[in-house]
Amino acid sequence: MNVLEIRGLAKSFTLHTIDGRTVGALHGVDLDVAAGEHVALAGASGAGKSSLLRCVHRTYVPTAGRILLRTSSGQSVDLAALPDAQVADLRGRDLGYVSQFLRAEPRRAVLDVVARAGAARGLDLDAARDAAAAALRRLGIEERLWAMHTTVLSGGQKQRVNLAAGTISPPRLLLLDEPVSALDPVNREAVLSMIADLTGAGVAVLSVFHDLDAIERLATRVVVLKDGRVAADGPPRAVLRESELNLEVAR
Amino acid sequence: MNWALKVEGLGRVYGDPGARSLPGTGPEHGTSVSPATGAVVAVWDVGFEVEPGEALGIVGESGSGKSTVMRCVAGDERPSRGSAYLRGYDDGRTDVLALGDGERRRLRIDRVSVVYQDPAAGLDLDTSAGGNIAERLTAAGGRHFGRIRERAAELLELTEVPLSRMDDPVRTFSGGMRQRVQIAKALANRPPVLLLDEPTTGLDASVAAGVLDLLRNLLERLGVAAVVVSHDFGVIEMLTRRVMVMQHGRVVETGLTDQLLEDPQHPYSQRLVAAARG
Repeated sequence: MNVLEIRGLAKSFTLHTIDGRTVGALHGVDLDVAAGEHVALAGASGAGKSSLLRCVHRTYVPTAGRILLRTSSGQSVDLAALPDAQVADLRGRDLGYVSQFLRAEPRRAVLDVVARAGAARGLDLDAARDAAAAALRRLGIEERLWAMHTTVLSGGQKQRVNLAAGTISPPRLLLLDEPVSALDPVNREAVLSMIADLTGAGVAVLSVFHDLDAIERLATRVVVLKDGRVAADGPPRAVLRESELNLEVAR
Repeated sequence: MNWALKVEGLGRVYGDPGARSLPGTGPEHGTSVSPATGAVVAVWDVGFEVEPGEALGIVGESGSGKSTVMRCVAGDERPSRGSAYLRGYDDGRTDVLALGDGERRRLRIDRVSVVYQDPAAGLDLDTSAGGNIAERLTAAGGRHFGRIRERAAELLELTEVPLSRMDDPVRTFSGGMRQRVQIAKALANRPPVLLLDEPTTGLDASVAAGVLDLLRNLLERLGVAAVVVSHDFGVIEMLTRRVMVMQHGRVVETGLTDQLLEDPQHPYSQRLVAAARG
């Protein structure tokens, strides 16, 4: 069952502060993600991968097209046209977004940040704290750090706390934007195995990873974007091999 | 009905409030002053809803009308037109802007609270912290001295004011501490709607950050519907999930807070965000 169906998605930016020029990012993208499917977006920088994720999260306002999300209450809603307050309500339980960076949080303890994210997705506070502890342990955040403010953590630690918060009691559709960019090999391994388990648990994942190794390991399907359009869509190995060949030809 | 506060068609004109004051004012004309009558159209046609547990931001430069919206909703000022409804008052059927002065004042005791930029606007500086809070509690009918004192202590604890200072006049408090007392007083009777007007402006950066942390925690915990007026995008980003941008008395854009910061649509919003980013 498709959790996400994108049809004819276009996004352009009108830069009023420069000279009113319009810059196109996406030009009519169609894409589906089913429950338990991990679709990885690939393509050169500037191809529109992050713009696509941000349109789905409504951090960007889509210019045209439809972004249909099947919610946990069984409805199909168009995120491209839904009123702000309703999008805000869907964020959390139905729609999650984990970026490269921990978002601006007040001075708050690590365990608290993760537990609150769980509570926001419907866990009761005790269950949220237990789940938060389990997630932090799994991602290698030592217990001595749990009571510290997130502001004192290293970049890699912040990234893992961010992931723990984004995946505890996971949303139906999880958007991942470069979630392992700051991690060393050991921690990267822990994160990748955690993300693999999400797919197994039926979460629909749409991701951007720079490293092809992560894509090959996690993705059930790869969609290659080129200049804001879908250039290829298929099984990871076949699609990646083909786009590598294309790269070599281009060289 | 999903809202705790609903505002419709709010307008505030200083001077001739007639229709002939409107032409030539607003963002597309670059002014709120009517060329025909000289009236100042401070706010025109502003509407919004806020859900329980949600914070809505209003941003804009000085003179955009954002604080006037706040003052009209709070009852500090009479709007020229428009209506406002509170779910907690007559099930949201009565326009509270049309109520008489006495009834409006009563709403401020336990239905709509305001935290002003200047603590002196919300507090009596010569009265103790406990006394300021007690005043609000007795206004709501509290008579039992022991219980009032207990609740005041509870509120000061909630807003992280040392209980040892409870009986000191607020005048002897630092700016950040005064603001915490003002917040404690505003929350005294558990109002479902909280209006925050530049709550951290004027405080030192580190003190402001502490007050902001406190507000964020309180908004999350208490489930109040909040309206936050600020020119500071840091405050808006930390506290609100949706935002309204005002210019020359009109709303030029509404959006999710992260959307407004990442992908502002209106030329004025783009300028504001670019300026905030430096």
